[in-house]
Amino acid sequence: MIARLMTLLLALGLALPALPALAQTGPLRIVIEEGVIEPLPFAAPDFVAENAEAQQYAREISRVIASDLAGTGLFREIPGDAFISQITSFDSPVQYADWKAINAQALVTGAVSVSGNRLVVKFRLFDVFSEAPLGEGLQFGGTTGAWRRVAHKVADQVYSRITGEGGYFDSRVVYVAETGPKDQRQKRLAIMDYDGANVQYLTDAASIVLAPRFSPTGDRVLYTSYESGFPRIYLMDVASAGRRALEDQPGTMSFAPRFAPDGRTVVFSLTQGGNTDLYSLNLSTGARRRLTSAPSIETAPSFSPDGRLIVFESDRSGTQQLYIMPAGGGEARRISFGQGRYGTPVWSPRGDLIAFTKQHKGRFHIGVMRTDGSEERLLTASFLDEGPAWSPNGRVIMFSRETPGAAGSSALYSVDITGRNLKRVPVRGGASDPAWSPLLP
Amino acid sequence: MNTGTYISGLLHLLLIGWALIGGWLSLPEDEPFEVAQVSILTGEEFAALTAPPSAPRAATEAPAPALPEPQEPAPAPAPEPVPDTPPEIAPRPEPEAPAEPDPAPVPPETAPEAEVSDVPPVAPTPPAETPGTALVAEPTPPRPSTRVAPVPAAPPPPEAEIAEDVTESATPSPDAAPEAPAEPATAPEEATTEIVTEAEEGKDSALAPLASARPLARPDRPVRVAEPAEPAAPAEPTEPEAPPADAIADALAEAMGGGAPETSGIGTAPSGPPMTGGEKDALRVAVSRCWNVGSLSSEALRTSVVVAVSMQEDGKPRMETIRMISYSGGPEAAAQRVFETASRAIIRCGINGYDLPVEKYDYWRDIEMTFNPEKMRIK
Amino acid sequence: MTPFTKVLLAACALGVAACTSPGQYDRGGLGGGAGEFAAGSPQDPRSMAYFQQTIGDRVHFAVDESTLGDEARATLLAQASWLMDNPEYSAIIEGHADEQGTREYNLALGARRAAAVQEFLVSRGVSPARLRTVSYGKERPIEICSAEACYAKNRRAVTVVTAGAGA
Repeated sequence: MIARLMTLLLALGLALPALPALAQTGPLRIVIEEGVIEPLPFAAPDFVAENAEAQQYAREISRVIASDLAGTGLFREIPGDAFISQITSFDSPVQYADWKAINAQALVTGAVSVSGNRLVVKFRLFDVFSEAPLGEGLQFGGTTGAWRRVAHKVADQVYSRITGEGGYFDSRVVYVAETGPKDQRQKRLAIMDYDGANVQYLTDAASIVLAPRFSPTGDRVLYTSYESGFPRIYLMDVASAGRRALEDQPGTMSFAPRFAPDGRTVVFSLTQGGNTDLYSLNLSTGARRRLTSAPSIETAPSFSPDGRLIVFESDRSGTQQLYIMPAGGGEARRISFGQGRYGTPVWSPRGDLIAFTKQHKGRFHIGVMRTDGSEERLLTASFLDEGPAWSPNGRVIMFSRETPGAAGSSALYSVDITGRNLKRVPVRGGASDPAWSPLLP
Repeated sequence: MNTGTYISGLLHLLLIGWALIGGWLSLPEDEPFEVAQVSILTGEEFAALTAPPSAPRAATEAPAPALPEPQEPAPAPAPEPVPDTPPEIAPRPEPEAPAEPDPAPVPPETAPEAEVSDVPPVAPTPPAETPGTALVAEPTPPRPSTRVAPVPAAPPPPEAEIAEDVTESATPSPDAAPEAPAEPATAPEEATTEIVTEAEEGKDSALAPLASARPLARPDRPVRVAEPAEPAAPAEPTEPEAPPADAIADALAEAMGGGAPETSGIGTAPSGPPMTGGEKDALRVAVSRCWNVGSLSSEALRTSVVVAVSMQEDGKPRMETIRMISYSGGPEAAAQRVFETASRAIIRCGINGYDLPVEKYDYWRDIEMTFNPEKMRIK
Repeated sequence: MTPFTKVLLAACALGVAACTSPGQYDRGGLGGGAGEFAAGSPQDPRSMAYFQQTIGDRVHFAVDESTLGDEARATLLAQASWLMDNPEYSAIIEGHADEQGTREYNLALGARRAAAVQEFLVSRGVSPARLRTVSYGKERPIEICSAEACYAKNRRAVTVVTAGAGA
């Protein structure tokens, strides 16, 4: 009896630890909050040329795509000599194991065919480790002359499918091309693809031109020119390079023009009697309206994407700072409060951030802040950085960087809004004052 | 029977009753001890704890778990998951716990296990580093690197191939067993813990050490302790063999009248001790190593997703079972992007199977992982 | 063309040519017609060269300032006198800034500096109709060494006199 009782006790004692175990049901749950940030390795084997005329384009198109992706800093290309299998036909099945073996996590395949001056490019994107396509295959057509644009469109598709962002590769940048020493700078307006290809000049170097800005559809450019002997704002049609002055009152100077998102109004700075204020101009009616009346300098205005607000710089507090006011003028609210001077504010096309130039202790920085001035982050630092311009997806900023000294010159740089991937835009010769078009249709 | 027996029996019944009800009332969640409370040990202290003289004790204690005491909570008999992924779980400062296979720096009797060794990255120790302060000093400024990972790693030695785990090349050393396989040295890719923008680069230059020290782990993450490498003998923790756990589990199963723990005949409740916090953490770290959020948009980085996956017994995920169960914090398109990165993470780091204890398979056959990228937003 | 027409044309050309080289006007006066000096040379007190080199055609400013210091005022007083004495000239006042600033702001700052000079000259009696202002911001430095010694020279307002009574 005692022995049985003891055995019972022993058995129960052994069973006790199991009881809590019985209480656990359901799947194992874990929470993952940390990951890595590294460029995603991808492979872009040469696109297949589906006919003889496509030969000269097929490889070049895949090179442009790879270079767009790798240039973002978010992707890393696996070189072709590491490939195990090759893509010889657009429709043959993908040997995922071969791509996994070289750690290509994304695979872009494509094919090109050309007839006459018409080019057709098809592509597919694969998530290698999930062994499945990522989205549908797509096809783009264009003229052979615009083959780079077609490549950029494919790259935009790949980029957005993986990141979830809008693309920005099929876009153009207008800027000031510079030559000559600092005391005799020759400046002319130029336009190019965002990656530095296809440069075209829009003006000659006869007079100083400054700070061009695109219209919301990218078909016109506002800029400042000294061709009259005084800084005045002009509107130019990109396709024809035809232009007209928007302001020509004697005794005044105008500069720093920007389009409103509706493309019908221009906001700019007008200087009269030594005082600079903001004005807006209706392009169709020519009606001018004064937006600020202060003895301080008010300049560098930029609209919010919804057109309701304008951010600008003013030294009304004693130093250059950033302010926001309603688009029709009115009370201005200061948003910059850090140490140093703030200028050239530009509202992001996503509406969430404002980029700016900051000067502090002899250094210049490009930075971003939220539209209420919080979360200020400086992305660059150098002798002279200024004039940020946003990519169409609000993810990349391009700006001018000038080097010091008599031999100094200006170049265009771009940086991701996280501060990563700072690099020079490959433009031949000096360049400054970039502005970025929207994504081309 | 006499009065004494009655009283004794009554008291025993009361005790058992309390144990029964008490057990129900306090459903154990994660095991509260070891991992969270362990103090950070320096290399010297660790070496002292696990010095060879204590090794024979482990050998003699191995049979001890066959007689479990009722008051021991269930997971105690399970072996502490020894660091099988490099700078990992700190050792328990309880050498007296039964059946702990000491991760000793290769005492002679564990030499055969040196074959399968995972070594923490052997970083060059900065000359000025003093052991007592090494692990709680302010972290050195992060080195610029294209890769950001939770576990900073020094640039791999030149001949190393990039792989997720680290194995030492088979250099002749007094500690290595003669039959150690000649594996090429591998090391995790160089990584840093933060992105350094150009504007921030020059900031801490006045404070930077003269030698380029490997960034130290943050003290509030007790699980990831970057131990300074012992100069001579690289610590070679062994794989969790877990013979004592099997003994316990078998004993319990017999007592409950069931068969072997893995193939229970009495319903679907998992049997055997549940996953320890350390094991779950090891899985979490293993997956997060492959979770690359670098390409996610800022909208996606605000979106959490819950991903379900079913696993094979060998620890490999079943790809076709990976699915998104729910998401929050952003629109579906953003959630889909996050899900894709999560799915890639699960598959890539599970290619050779995750290191999960096979006797607890019932507990990890189905896993739900919540991926929350909020902390990775601006790094 | 008849010879008479040719002579007439030549005479007109000479007359017009005279208009473009103001130094040709010999009026004596001002400082005493002490003797013959080449019209238009820096010794000719009525010449632009004299204005530039002897009077001083520029004033300088402190960083981010458009206020006139004492030295600037002295120079501008002399400029004003000269302009009053030589009513056949008008002037464009160019405002400049050094490169330590953003483009638009420097344009506006240069404009302030030019306006400060213009106000001063007007307050000393120069007719406003004879003065115009323009700003070049940081686009036309005269010293390019990226150090304070050069910056100080670039922060300037230059009074450029031209023939012609008014704008």
